[in-house]
Amino acid sequence: MEDQPGFPEFVQQQAGKLLEQTLQHIGLTFISLLIAVVIGVPLGILITRRKKLAGIVLGIAGVLQTIPSIALLGFMIPLLGIGAKPAIMALFLYALLPIIRNTYTGILQVDPVVIDAATGMGMSKRQLLYKVQLPLAMPVLLAGIRTATVINVGVATLAAYIAAGGLGEFIFGGIALNNTNMILAGAIPAALLAIIFDWAVARLQKLRMQKVKTALYLLPFLLLILSSFYLLPAAYGTSLVAGFTPEFMGRKDGNLGLKQVYGLKMRTVVISDMIMYKAAYEKTLDVISGSTTDGRVKAFDLQSLTDDKHIFPPYYAAPIVRQETLDKYPELAPALNKLSGIINDSVMTELNYRVDYLKQDPAVVASDFLKAKGLLQAAKHGTKGPVVIGAKIFGDGYILANMYKLLVNGYTELEAITKTGLGGTKICFDALTNGQIDLYPEYSGTGLLVILKADKSVVDTLVSDKQKVYDYVSREFMQRYHIRWLPPIGFNNTYALMMRRQQAADLHITSISDLKEYLLHH
Amino acid sequence: MIKLEHVNKSFHNGKPAVRDVSFEVNTGETLVLLGTSGSGKTTTLRMINRLIAPDSGQILVNGEPVNTQQIESLRRNIGYVLQENGLFPHYTVAENIGIVPTLLKWDKKRIEERTHSLMEKLRLSVADHYHAYPQQLSGGQQQRVGLARALAADPLVLLMDEPFGALDPVTRVSVRKEFRSLDEIHNKTVIMVTHDVPEAFELGNRICLMDQGVIQQTGTPTELLFNPVNDFVSNFFHEQRFWLELNALRLTDIKPWLGNTIPGENHAPVLKGGNSCWEALEQMTTLSAPVNIAFEDKLVRIDTSELMHAFRQYKQTVNGHGRSTRLS
Repeated sequence: MEDQPGFPEFVQQQAGKLLEQTLQHIGLTFISLLIAVVIGVPLGILITRRKKLAGIVLGIAGVLQTIPSIALLGFMIPLLGIGAKPAIMALFLYALLPIIRNTYTGILQVDPVVIDAATGMGMSKRQLLYKVQLPLAMPVLLAGIRTATVINVGVATLAAYIAAGGLGEFIFGGIALNNTNMILAGAIPAALLAIIFDWAVARLQKLRMQKVKTALYLLPFLLLILSSFYLLPAAYGTSLVAGFTPEFMGRKDGNLGLKQVYGLKMRTVVISDMIMYKAAYEKTLDVISGSTTDGRVKAFDLQSLTDDKHIFPPYYAAPIVRQETLDKYPELAPALNKLSGIINDSVMTELNYRVDYLKQDPAVVASDFLKAKGLLQAAKHGTKGPVVIGAKIFGDGYILANMYKLLVNGYTELEAITKTGLGGTKICFDALTNGQIDLYPEYSGTGLLVILKADKSVVDTLVSDKQKVYDYVSREFMQRYHIRWLPPIGFNNTYALMMRRQQAADLHITSISDLKEYLLHH
Repeated sequence: MIKLEHVNKSFHNGKPAVRDVSFEVNTGETLVLLGTSGSGKTTTLRMINRLIAPDSGQILVNGEPVNTQQIESLRRNIGYVLQENGLFPHYTVAENIGIVPTLLKWDKKRIEERTHSLMEKLRLSVADHYHAYPQQLSGGQQQRVGLARALAADPLVLLMDEPFGALDPVTRVSVRKEFRSLDEIHNKTVIMVTHDVPEAFELGNRICLMDQGVIQQTGTPTELLFNPVNDFVSNFFHEQRFWLELNALRLTDIKPWLGNTIPGENHAPVLKGGNSCWEALEQMTTLSAPVNIAFEDKLVRIDTSELMHAFRQYKQTVNGHGRSTRLS
């Protein structure tokens, strides 16, 4: 066990990455802002002249604003794929409303007497706009840009979900890895960016009106320069593109291990687990950090590369339970253990396939499976308990939690409740130690590396043997947290690098070492 | 030169705003559109520089119908003064004054010289106010800048919409006086809208009295006072009639009733035939003595009672031709 290094050390170690992410973040924010200004300001001007359009335009922009940001990103994927394009599009749509609305109100609030004087003196519509309306609307217009900037800095953190980079990579990686320093390394710069840009635009607003003219001409250039930041980090690249989850990026048995042990260097984007497999199938990505039992591996015909240097430890799933709960309800463990040794890799992949790809209800899949195995018993509607069963947000978790619920309800007098979709490991494990849930299915490898954060020397001695890993985590969990590991369920849901079967065959790549060789020469 | 021929305009709701308005204003002349709010005087004014389009009728500026002239160039050649001055808050005083010359693409030096000269004429300190913003000026100063802006490109025509209406009474009198003494005004065709009767009498060569969109009477101040065409016109001036009449009448007008008085001593103050009766009365009251009046053909010496006698005689005579007016 090694202590987490302090925040300053973390920042120092990750300075390069932090800078890259910050630049990407600024770039994303301002590319979308630039587009929003270029489109929103003329649109705002247009609706001051065609008042009938005003309601419709502001209405549409307002509705766009109410779509939850993560959903908006989701809508963009089928249209624009993954990466910068959908992220910029979504951020642009968010920035649109404040810019259109403030251009519109800014121009409308210009003193009508001044407009009358300008018209009466013989200014054309164009001269009126550029010499009178826009300069006088500028403080309000800038307030709109200011709002849009702050919104964009915030929403841009979500861009990490769809492989567009930015400070979200640290934030989501940190949450997945239970690494507070990493969360802070993403969150603090994001907050600082918001504050700095807010302040800068506020300064611009307060300038004397005369100087605003100059600022008006400077603004597009400034936006362009800031926008170009996004392109800087993307300047290097390889022939194949990898997409890894935020969690995989920061794990020793993930990207760090690939770099250290295999010396693998390739262009890597960070992407949410939810869209990673499909992106590989659609050839947006070539290599992904899949998990071996995921249903989508089957659905999208992906092939795992052999881990010939053994950096991915075994990930045998087993229920982990609070000892307190086991002591209180001795009948619980036997009911849970009915699943032990029953589900192997291919069974789990099949079950996940039904849930993830065929979109069947995890509860139905769970009950069908138990019935087939002759394990399903009618619920006894017990009054003891309740026992709260948690699960992470992945397919495995939903199905297993539902099976355990059926088993507990069928074999004991306890009442089981499921609480699924608990984000990452940190959230689930914290809920368990706090007593908000009583048990959840966990993987031995995750226990070893993420929760216990075992030393490299310890990991090296254990990693090739699944039994040793299981024994080690069982012992340590009981000692440190008073939590028991019940016998493994059977399948090994480990990380694996995956490629499209066809491409792997074409390039003659079967192992990670092959991949590295290929990248060296292409 | 401005000419309106049978101009009509209705509001959006169909109510007539201006009905069959016709008048003509010559170069060097100031016509005042006088009336209460809603009388159609501002609508009439704004149709001349095409801020409002008439429904029917013809408007000519400098002999050409306005709707055949290029709209921006028409407006650039017409000075426009507004009640709320309408100065650009983001422009300095100098930039405000230079707006129309800039639109007309004068060179910088010429604009600068013109701005300097106008500011001096309107008693605006170049040192203090040239680079100031309108918000930093007093109401009177702002209105002077508004005047300077309208005059900047030396237009032949000047339209003024209640130009002194937003000023306090003291400032109003002083700005008005400056306006009247501007030499630039004398070769221009000026149309001014006001609801202030003394202002109309002070500044207008002729007054066009409007009510409910219709012209009641157009004429010189004296014509309106002593030959009103209807009750509306005579009632309109009822409140201030005595003062207005004394002000409107020149000493020349009452000369026939002043008799052949012996010339006074040389050191006594001398008024001219062009002075108003009011000015003569003021003189006599201040000095508590008779005054000398130098007509072209004779010199007379009168006191208060002689003046008032002649005034009454004049009124009786004109009332014989015109409509009856109530005695003041």
